[in-house]
Amino acid sequence: MMGMQSRLPSKDTLVHLRDESVKRLSASEKLVERSFNEARFVASLAVGLLLVGFLLVAQMRGQATFSGSLERQSDQNLAIIIQQLTAENNVLRTEVARLQMRLLEAGQATEDRTQLLNEAARELNSVSMMAGLEPAIGPGIAVRITDPERVLLPQDFVRVIHELRGGGAEAIAVNGVRVTATSGFAGRNGRIELDGTALARDYEVIALGEQGNLAQALELPGGLKTTLATFPGVTVEITKAEELTVPAGRTGGYSAGSPVEDDQ
Amino acid sequence: MLALVLALALGVTLGLLTNVSVPVAWLTYLGVAVLAAIDACLGGVKASLEETFDDKVFVSGFLTNTLMAAFIVFVGDRIGVRELYLAAVVAFGMRVFDNLGTVRQLLFHRWGWE
Repeated sequence: MMGMQSRLPSKDTLVHLRDESVKRLSASEKLVERSFNEARFVASLAVGLLLVGFLLVAQMRGQATFSGSLERQSDQNLAIIIQQLTAENNVLRTEVARLQMRLLEAGQATEDRTQLLNEAARELNSVSMMAGLEPAIGPGIAVRITDPERVLLPQDFVRVIHELRGGGAEAIAVNGVRVTATSGFAGRNGRIELDGTALARDYEVIALGEQGNLAQALELPGGLKTTLATFPGVTVEITKAEELTVPAGRTGGYSAGSPVEDDQ
Repeated sequence: MLALVLALALGVTLGLLTNVSVPVAWLTYLGVAVLAAIDACLGGVKASLEETFDDKVFVSGFLTNTLMAAFIVFVGDRIGVRELYLAAVVAFGMRVFDNLGTVRQLLFHRWGWE
């Protein structure tokens, strides 16, 4: 009995042991709770800091773009920018105006040249027609003169041509021979020649021009028609036509003279 | 402590990698919100050092402060009191410096540098 009792710990010791283990348990429980709390704290704070870092970077980026934008510029800077832009704008505007002017001028020059060319061509046409270089076609009158008695002289034809020119004739031909600036009538062996071509006895003078004026030039009271008609056997008949043709004259260049160049 | 620094670095890296940029119109609001978030985090660190940290308080404070700060500045803009953001900046700025000071003192105390 004694031995058994001596092997068993006393009641006090047991109580002490129990208290001790309870204490340790609660301590370890507290430790667990604390580390658990610690983990929660670290986790939530870490999430918060992660957010802060992310937002900070985003904010810095936004700020950087904002600083570069016009909104951020000071009033003075903005004024300078506006001034520069205005000046640049003005320069460009002037350039545009200048180029437009040049374009207009170029167009004008082309037009002028075309007009000049057209005018020159027209003038050349009329000059060559007047000079008898080209056959001509147009309204005019045909004067038929018959002279069976051969009483007409070359000067009578010269007068006819003069009267017709006075009436505004632009091109004249006698019996199909063009009367040019150098033409001349001559009498040979009782026949009349024009520029060396003997004319048949029935003459046909064709004059292009305003019909009324041409006819009037010959038909005036006391005019050439009346005068010629007084010669024996001579008849003069004037017909107006819308389309008469005169041939081209002989072309001969100048040999004795040359045109005087105008210094203008 | 290392985990917190790593978390901050991770956030910055994430921001750099995703290449996000705040729209110009939101700059002021988000700026104040970021200030409020920094303040909340410092408050959390301070509380943990004082061993009074409560994650519910931290999370609710973090969310409420950031959102409300941005909202108040937004309202100020809408009612023509643009300067209201100044009040938010001053208030949160003061708290940030306050918390920073306390955290510094607590750290000194903990590391026995006093």
